[in-house]
Amino acid sequence: MSDEDKVKAKPGRRKRRDTMRRAALVTKVDEGPEPGALREGRRRVLVAGAHRLVAVHLIEQLLADPNVEAVLAVTRGACPPSLLGADPERFHFVSADLSKRRQVDNLFLLDRFRDGPFDTVVHLAFQGDPTGYTQRNHEFNVNSTKHMLEASLRHLVGKYIFLSSDAVYRIGARGDYKVREDAELNLDPSVHPILRDTIDAEFICRAKMDDLETEVMVLRPSGVFGGGVVSGINLLFESNPPMLPVGFDPMINPTTKEHLSRDLLLALNLHGKGVYNVAGRTVGPLSKFLEERGIVPVRVPGPALKMLNRAQRALGKTRYHAGFNPRRLYYSLVLDDARFEKIFRTHAARVPIVSED
Amino acid sequence: MLGRKRNKKYARPLLPAREWARVESYMVDDAGFGTDRFGTDADMLGMGYALGYWLHRHFFRVVSTGHDHVPKKGGGVVVGNHSGVLPFDAMMIATDVFRHTDPPRLMRYMVDYFVYRIPFLGVFFRSMGQMPGTRANFDGLIEEGHLIGIFPEGAEALGKTADKAYDLYPFSPGHVELAARHGVPVIPFGLVGAEEQINMVANFEPLARLLRVPYFPITPTFPWLGPMGLLPKPVRYFITYGEPIHVDPAALTSMEAREREVARVRDAVLELLDEGQRTRKRYAEGKDE
Repeated sequence: MSDEDKVKAKPGRRKRRDTMRRAALVTKVDEGPEPGALREGRRRVLVAGAHRLVAVHLIEQLLADPNVEAVLAVTRGACPPSLLGADPERFHFVSADLSKRRQVDNLFLLDRFRDGPFDTVVHLAFQGDPTGYTQRNHEFNVNSTKHMLEASLRHLVGKYIFLSSDAVYRIGARGDYKVREDAELNLDPSVHPILRDTIDAEFICRAKMDDLETEVMVLRPSGVFGGGVVSGINLLFESNPPMLPVGFDPMINPTTKEHLSRDLLLALNLHGKGVYNVAGRTVGPLSKFLEERGIVPVRVPGPALKMLNRAQRALGKTRYHAGFNPRRLYYSLVLDDARFEKIFRTHAARVPIVSED
Repeated sequence: MLGRKRNKKYARPLLPAREWARVESYMVDDAGFGTDRFGTDADMLGMGYALGYWLHRHFFRVVSTGHDHVPKKGGGVVVGNHSGVLPFDAMMIATDVFRHTDPPRLMRYMVDYFVYRIPFLGVFFRSMGQMPGTRANFDGLIEEGHLIGIFPEGAEALGKTADKAYDLYPFSPGHVELAARHGVPVIPFGLVGAEEQINMVANFEPLARLLRVPYFPITPTFPWLGPMGLLPKPVRYFITYGEPIHVDPAALTSMEAREREVARVRDAVLELLDEGQRTRKRYAEGKDE
């Protein structure tokens, strides 16, 4: 065939190739694993943001599971003390800056994981503390998600899980008694930059959710309780005393770090992709959760709340930031996690380590 | 089951034994802290009913007919006129339905959003099982078989001035759409009496806008006497429930059908209002005493 013929044949060949690709895509989608089915093989998990308490708890549970071959914990600082004694055959720790693309790429090229590459990436690395927020925090939050997700797709990781937050939802007087995943997001440009980062990071993940090789999943947990957990609700409860606006008592359904890590365990062991709410079982007014823990809040007039909270922080009596998501103390936010329940929790028995929990 | 400490202390002495038994038989689907998922508080409900019962029986001396039209179970949309500056009419309908259904049924209103911005008031409404009027809230409640109250004239109708008494504002079509979507009946009612409880002379709109409320009433006594100036007169209420209306499912697909169904509901409410006024006239003449 002459060069001219080759040029002439090119469009036809390209068309045929495209048609075949589309056919392959359709076949693959049709043959995709059933959501809730157990993922095959042994797990090799990369946990980014290992300094977080929920990550430590998750890693401990992963290491207790004989089906987990290896866990790589990554964070910017030192290895969390409770993980120092973990089995060195199965647990590895790397300190890396995930906002740097090269350092993220290097994680996927480690010798230990050359023969058996990661099949799951759990991305928990997020700078969620509103105090001292800078451009660097923004770069870390958004770029770490971008680099980790891109590397996961490039290395054909089976599942990528991003832990988002319920703060992404718009809340107000016009609230639904239960907030589903398709509820309105808080896209108000005046929101705290961390909320914008969370939504940006989610959108990066959502843009890749149709990938055929990697199941991309975003979990939006409700407020997380647990000693030392840096979540809005936990910091509020650990305040001395918690300050609440007079005349408001929002409904909430918080979870705990134990329940959240259990849900993460289910998410990484079972098939399924998309955006899911995860929440605790108990729904009730905020005041009742405080009452249950024997905490007596101080009620202050709403307009003075931010100022008094600032003073309380300056005195070291709280780490809660009332200006971060101010409506949280006024209006209800009860997550509807029926989708997660249906696809993951109802199949908990398929994951031995979870069903024993 | 209702009947916790606060209930027994405050609500029990206000209710006759028969009504207390009714309160005790009402089940709140406890989601953890004595409230259901919607935030209905068992304690508050008992106390709210005690207050509602007192107003229903002794203050507004409600005369109601047509309770048989209220479904004993399953979802339904209860729709009627709204008036009286303060929503005592809604409270009396809810109390009336709770009193005259067996087992007792709690009406859940789709409430205007501004209520939830007001300290204490929003919490009070929520703990009484009343929800912000969003589509998702309506769907959630109706799917669980609740009885939902809607005032299609909107909260603005509460602020009708005395010269517009018993004029119905245009009905919004939401109730018809939602009833058609879920295949539940619309139960119309007409309430006579609330228009006379407070004589609203004018609506001070600039202040209403400033306070982000639908109206700011000017009455012969308010704001001159402070909040006391908004106390209602002890007028007798007459409530008439009409036959359930089964909405044409075409209301979901055709604008004309939707308007026709909205007009059908509005006409039914107007007719029930006329009937209520006739009953009141008979009462005034001493024929039905």
